[in-house]
Amino acid sequence: MQSCTYLIVGASHAGLAAADAIRMIDPASPLILASRDSHLPYSPTILPYVVSGRSKAERTALRSEAFFKEKSITFLRQAQLQSINAEKGLAHFDQGTSIRFDKLLLATGAAPSLPAIPGLGDVAFHVLRTMDDALGLKTAMKGARRALVLGAGLIGTHAAENMAEAGMTVSIVEPQMQLLPGYFDSQASSLIEKAFEGHGIDLKFGRSVASLKPGVAVLDDGQDVPFDLLLIATGVRPALSYLDGSGIRIDRGILVDERQRTNLPAVWAAGDCAQVRLFQSEGTGVAGILPMAVEQGRIAGQGMVDDEGQKPFPGAVSLNTYSFFGQQAISVGAGISGADSPGTETVLRFDEGAKTYLRLVLKEDRLVGAASVNHPLDPGILWQLILRQTDLSDVKERFLADPKTTGRLLMSRLWR
Amino acid sequence: MGAFNSLTYNATICLGCGECMMACAKAKSGDADRFDQSRIKIVPAGDNKFEAALCRQCGDAKCVMNCPAGALTKNAASGVVDWNADLCVSCLLCTVGCAYGSITFESSVGHVAKCDTCGGDPACVKVCKSGALGYVTTASIYNDYGKQEDLFAPGLAACQGCNSELMIRHVLRRVGRNVVVAAPPGCIPGMGTVGYNGKAGAKVPIFHPLLTNTASMLAGLKRTYERQGRDVTALALAGDGGASDVGFQSLSGAAERGEHILFLCFDNEGYMNTGMQASSATSFGSWTSTTPVGDKLQGKRTDAKNLPMVMMMHNAAYVATASSVFMEDFYRKLDKALAASKQGFAYLHLYAPCPSGWRFPASLTIDVCRLMVESNFVTLWEYTPETGLVFTRPTDKPKPLESYLKAIGKYRHLAQEQVDRIKKLLEDRLAMLKRFVR
Amino acid sequence: MTALSKPGKVVVLDGNEAAAKGVALARPDVVAVYPITPQSSLVEHLSSLIASGELDAELMNVEGEHSVLSALQGAALAGARTYTATSGPGLAFMFEPYIRQPGLRLPMVASLVTRDTLTPQCVWGGHQDAMLVRECGWIHMYCETVQEILDSVIMGYKVAEHPEIMLPVNVNHDGNYLSFGVTRCEIPEQALVDDFLGPKNINWHAALDPERPMSVDPLTGNAGGAGPSMFVRYRKGQTEAMAHALDIIAEVHADWAARTGRHHAPLVEEYRLEGAEVALITLGSMTGAAKDCCDALRAGGRKVGVIKVKTYRPFPVAAMARALSQVKAVGVMDRSVSYGWNSGPMHQDTLSTLGKTGLRMPCLSFIGGLAGADITEAHFERAYDAVFKAASGDMPPGPLWVNEKD
Repeated sequence: MQSCTYLIVGASHAGLAAADAIRMIDPASPLILASRDSHLPYSPTILPYVVSGRSKAERTALRSEAFFKEKSITFLRQAQLQSINAEKGLAHFDQGTSIRFDKLLLATGAAPSLPAIPGLGDVAFHVLRTMDDALGLKTAMKGARRALVLGAGLIGTHAAENMAEAGMTVSIVEPQMQLLPGYFDSQASSLIEKAFEGHGIDLKFGRSVASLKPGVAVLDDGQDVPFDLLLIATGVRPALSYLDGSGIRIDRGILVDERQRTNLPAVWAAGDCAQVRLFQSEGTGVAGILPMAVEQGRIAGQGMVDDEGQKPFPGAVSLNTYSFFGQQAISVGAGISGADSPGTETVLRFDEGAKTYLRLVLKEDRLVGAASVNHPLDPGILWQLILRQTDLSDVKERFLADPKTTGRLLMSRLWR
Repeated sequence: MGAFNSLTYNATICLGCGECMMACAKAKSGDADRFDQSRIKIVPAGDNKFEAALCRQCGDAKCVMNCPAGALTKNAASGVVDWNADLCVSCLLCTVGCAYGSITFESSVGHVAKCDTCGGDPACVKVCKSGALGYVTTASIYNDYGKQEDLFAPGLAACQGCNSELMIRHVLRRVGRNVVVAAPPGCIPGMGTVGYNGKAGAKVPIFHPLLTNTASMLAGLKRTYERQGRDVTALALAGDGGASDVGFQSLSGAAERGEHILFLCFDNEGYMNTGMQASSATSFGSWTSTTPVGDKLQGKRTDAKNLPMVMMMHNAAYVATASSVFMEDFYRKLDKALAASKQGFAYLHLYAPCPSGWRFPASLTIDVCRLMVESNFVTLWEYTPETGLVFTRPTDKPKPLESYLKAIGKYRHLAQEQVDRIKKLLEDRLAMLKRFVR
Repeated sequence: MTALSKPGKVVVLDGNEAAAKGVALARPDVVAVYPITPQSSLVEHLSSLIASGELDAELMNVEGEHSVLSALQGAALAGARTYTATSGPGLAFMFEPYIRQPGLRLPMVASLVTRDTLTPQCVWGGHQDAMLVRECGWIHMYCETVQEILDSVIMGYKVAEHPEIMLPVNVNHDGNYLSFGVTRCEIPEQALVDDFLGPKNINWHAALDPERPMSVDPLTGNAGGAGPSMFVRYRKGQTEAMAHALDIIAEVHADWAARTGRHHAPLVEEYRLEGAEVALITLGSMTGAAKDCCDALRAGGRKVGVIKVKTYRPFPVAAMARALSQVKAVGVMDRSVSYGWNSGPMHQDTLSTLGKTGLRMPCLSFIGGLAGADITEAHFERAYDAVFKAASGDMPPGPLWVNEKD
């Protein structure tokens, strides 16, 4: 049986950030990084670009074999975690492999959540969460003309754009009344939707698929939508069946404290599988976005190696960047996707002709959220302003007029 | 991991002229007027003040960690966070990671852009008139000399905050093992360099000359090695007392004879090792234990002897002043002094503010070093018979002298007339030094 | 033994030049010079020898006697055989490195061209300068003649560099009388001297050499580290080497005599002590006049002798006791004073020798020849008279000042 000091299950952003943090302090103790995948570590975020061909699958690796060798990290591929016995420090993988560990990080990510649509079991469909999914979808696109995408989130819209650019006829079915609900308000989305419609993508809002038959989806309004290729992008959720009987507490994800510790002493969790505190609202949730996975992974790794520099996770903040048809959209923080909440102050600048949009939301002269389309912002600075709850009263006018320059001014002062 | 060179920005002296942005835009796009193409962004902060957004080339860069495409990497050789256009998918997640506004998407550029330090020769720094932008290349000191063996024993017992221990370790790393070190009585042997009761403090030959005879003892030693055909560096690590007071005769004699010696004087303005008594190098007005402050006396009544100037008058092969706050300057001078000491007498005067004796917090030594230079309390220069005197730090825009005097407890009692006298002295001294500039 | 010796070249020269010739024959590596009366012509001669190439040595014209000896200490720590010469105030200025040299166990030869000390201001001969440094740990040998100067400088190196000794040697000759007195002198062949001295033996024990890195003379003593014992060990070793030097000095003189045919008493010379009732003890050039006086008095039937001290430090107690045991009373002619004892320094050494060996006899102190004053045969005759009187019970209360009425 292999044994190690540190076992990290999951080799995407959270797992890699944890490995880096561990190796910063402890360059030698045995560290195993286990991936269920057969590829070198990659980011799920890159997959739409693999589908489009902009990224070559073989050039998406976030770490090389040489890196693992240099850092004395054992990288295990095709290791699907089956169960954990935390008391004995044992992790059991498929094909009967077991690893003994002193400290364990679960960074197993999420899996597509499939809607309960009658007939789904009878049709061929695609999801987009793994490299093999991406390569499969890319191959399928070659013989297909009509694509149907379920869900207008980031994965669905990215894929739809790629398929449209590849010359396919694309439809998106989304139960809500806009693209990217939750990230942008309807006005911002309208600019994005215009681009989609301009590229011939059929947007079917306020509808869902009632049933599926081979080659045809029947919508809840009775419309038949034929397709050669079906992509389901209705969201992801952690797949945690391996935790059955482990004693590790879960809810929607693995419950962790602000130092990414689970309820068991030698087990940490981070990234899309972890349910963490939220910065801008009560309670906890699964953040499911890349920068949060990086943060959490690093904090977990620091905790595993007793790094005195560890700082607690301040809570998840929604941070999204979105590029579409050569245009850019950014959303940071809260209060930017729906109606104004009480006590907030909103500045909105919308220019349909220029295709620009900016929404800044402040509360008590502190930034709550910001969203923009084709309006340059520094999301990293805005994130800091939110986390630090920076009092903007002295520069409010300037900030509202020019958030980018003013943000840079504030940060330059702060970091000096 | 090695150290890296880096761009620095000093907001307090930035004029906001924008030359740096034009230079960057020109370097990156060929068009100096395309400010949006500049990777350094100077932003107005009101009251004619300015701030900057520029890449720190973070060691643990979040832009790199956030990149899903592997397009951003920390270059282990240069320290620059490199951006690879081929791999970038313009997802902008890097911009989420950067708290400095330094990797940024400009639609006119069409992709994210960040500072690449122009391959180690940043265009912005070259055009900066105010000196607000700098390119600190001291990393090479760490990288090159950090690998050299530290030839002093670990755990020398220098006072907290003493820069002399730091400096002597630097010096020996650079000079290497083929050396004989003379450390006359004072702080440097006091911290244990020469050893105690059968234990050595250095890995090289080292000895305690008399306080009085460092230069002459080394001279005899060096002449003997030259007679034997051996090239051994003769190195003195002396204090200002042993150099400017009781050891001055032998120092002057050795300089006059052009003995092949590298003589380093650590100037802490007095006999600090024995309890902070005044020397001839103690500055006017200083409190010391032999120039106390009371109703009748208010500190030292005479001006400091300026030993480096005196050594210059010996027409020594190389004379320079240096400070531990300008390490590149120090290393350059050390190299020159070392080379000069093969042909003649080389004298290097190092300013060594003493937290214990001067009464300032041990954590502020480097700040005090900086202030004493920037206020022109001391000036950094070098002299060779061929070049005359050359200032190696500008002296034209000194910080107020008070900012230096106020930082140090030994001047706390100074009356305005005393401060005025010091000012006058410094002005006269600078004027005198300038007359040696060719 | 004389049959083995080779005669050298005979020349006429003064004591300073003889010292310089002796130094040149000993082939030092580094010579540091600073002029002072009455030593100046010595370093001038040496400088000329180096300038002409006759002596291949590094000449250091340093800025004072302090640096002279300092430079030579540095040179010795790099392995150099070294030499210098000084006098009076120069020796005083050299004092700080001077007292350090024996502790470093660095062998060398330095000539003291003896001179009376200030004040009153004076530039003439006397032993006061050398006497002031008699307790510093240097070996002190006093010469009687120009020839003895040359021979003793060479022998000095052999003593200094002896591995059981490793101490500096002062070869002293009287300012004015010997420094400028011109007499016959035999110069040995270089090969003879080379063979006599053998290889240099300077810094095997303490070196400043990157090939043998060591810390030379770190702080030692007090209670830290190895404790007080280390300091005691150094001091005791130095003192024992000093005592042992008497044997080595005798061996070296015998060796020199075998090679050159010139016999110099190594420690104490007994002159006409057979049947003597009283003797005078002398040091340096005054011995010649003392011997002449002794011869004259002997011719007149008076039973007198001379005891000449050659090696003054370490003090040759046994040799001195052997000489003293042959007489009933003794007088000591000092060319310096011991302020603390109201007598001459060598008088005190003689009293100590008597005390140490259990001999009892009247022992008078004469102080003469200060500031270049001549001690003539007449002076010595009067001294003998005083010793005879003391032998019969008429002991003066204090020292007798020889030139008091000159």
